[in-house]
Amino acid sequence: MNQSKGEASDARPGFDTSVAGKQAECDGGHAIPGTRYAGRQEFTGTLTGEYVDHGEPVWRWYLLARLTRKPEGYPGDSVWCESGNLFILEEGSG
Amino acid sequence: MASDPLRTKLCDMLGIEFPVIAFTHCKDVAVSVINSGGFAVLGEAMHTPDDIASDIKWIRDRIDGKPFGIDLVLPASVPPADSLEQLEAKIPETHRGFAQEIKEKYNVPDPKGAIDLHTWGGLNQQMARAQLEVLLDERVPVIASGLGNPGFFLETAHERGIKVFGLVGKARQAKRQLDAGVDAVIAQGYDAAGHTGAVGTFSIVPEIAAMAGDTPIIAAGGVTTGRHLAAALCLGASGVWSGTLWLASRESDIDMIIKERLLASTVEDTSYGKSISGMTMRVLTCPWTKEWAKPEAPHALPPPYQMLLSANYIQGANDNRREDLMTEAAGQGVGFVTSMKPARQILFDLVEEALAAFEERVGELA
Repeated sequence: MNQSKGEASDARPGFDTSVAGKQAECDGGHAIPGTRYAGRQEFTGTLTGEYVDHGEPVWRWYLLARLTRKPEGYPGDSVWCESGNLFILEEGSG
Repeated sequence: MASDPLRTKLCDMLGIEFPVIAFTHCKDVAVSVINSGGFAVLGEAMHTPDDIASDIKWIRDRIDGKPFGIDLVLPASVPPADSLEQLEAKIPETHRGFAQEIKEKYNVPDPKGAIDLHTWGGLNQQMARAQLEVLLDERVPVIASGLGNPGFFLETAHERGIKVFGLVGKARQAKRQLDAGVDAVIAQGYDAAGHTGAVGTFSIVPEIAAMAGDTPIIAAGGVTTGRHLAAALCLGASGVWSGTLWLASRESDIDMIIKERLLASTVEDTSYGKSISGMTMRVLTCPWTKEWAKPEAPHALPPPYQMLLSANYIQGANDNRREDLMTEAAGQGVGFVTSMKPARQILFDLVEEALAAFEERVGELA
């Protein structure tokens, strides 16, 4: 897996069978380091079912892979997406 | 007409006089607006947890118990986590060459110190989490999430008496946050500075207001006059969120050169593109944005690569105060920002203009 979860010491990985294989869109984005700015990014792909929970209150992130839509030039084929910004499109094959 | 058309549910919720929220990175601007009857949210996304705690104390010492807000940019997706060296090594030679051409063409000076981008360590959940902990511990009256969904900490915040606002660029993001129970949604249109969605303010505000029930909706994007405020309320908003308006205020701590550029800028002097960061954002047009917008320019790289390219230009321009090169995030309403006034006066002018706009309409209908 090419993505990191920020190496947080309180990160707890898991697997959610209820979303594995489902198509989803991610309204993503993040702050731009070294600036006061931020940016939005949109992805579409398949949820692997892998997730990581950060701290308390729990902040859950899902791995979206096999990306069919991603920002131009995005180097990877997967992205970690915060659960509140993830929109499941349809039932997948699981 | 109601006796006070500017008295909205946002005013009642926050205990403020005017439904105007100043989004600012400058503590002096925030304090001035708060003490004048408006509300202010201080952008702290790039600050360390210790700095945030210090800024909260600084503000609290000056506003006599009035409410205020702090904005964080919670990440919504996380890119690959390579080292700086690994990232730089992946920048194509064509793009390096194009950036170098710009540097030579405009005689862009080198930065005077280390590039901020190279020394700031946080693009991950750990940094955002540490920032958020400070806001929760300090029980700041309002936490605004400038990008990611704040749903995961809503319950904790509410238990501590903290209100939570979420800024969105799409209706589905608003619905998700409303369902989670945010206290207000900031509906940000394409006209806005910095990271914006693709929907214009005039379309996104009524769309989200229609689904919000009793939850206040705050209009953002292009709001720089009282007419904008009046229009936003008519669209269903309970207040406005403005950023560009305060950048050129007397109290604002941005470089005077940028203030003068803002005052001289028209609505056509902003650019919406990916040349700064690899993500679409609106900034004052500058040689860097112009060159990357040309047909012969390479496509902007995705983040973080494009930022690594632009950081040298931006910091070189800023460190050396090169007026012809500098840029700043600015919304399309910048054309209406024409004089440098105290923040208090800006707020009062906004309110008077809005009231005049309402009176004008009512007079025509009578």
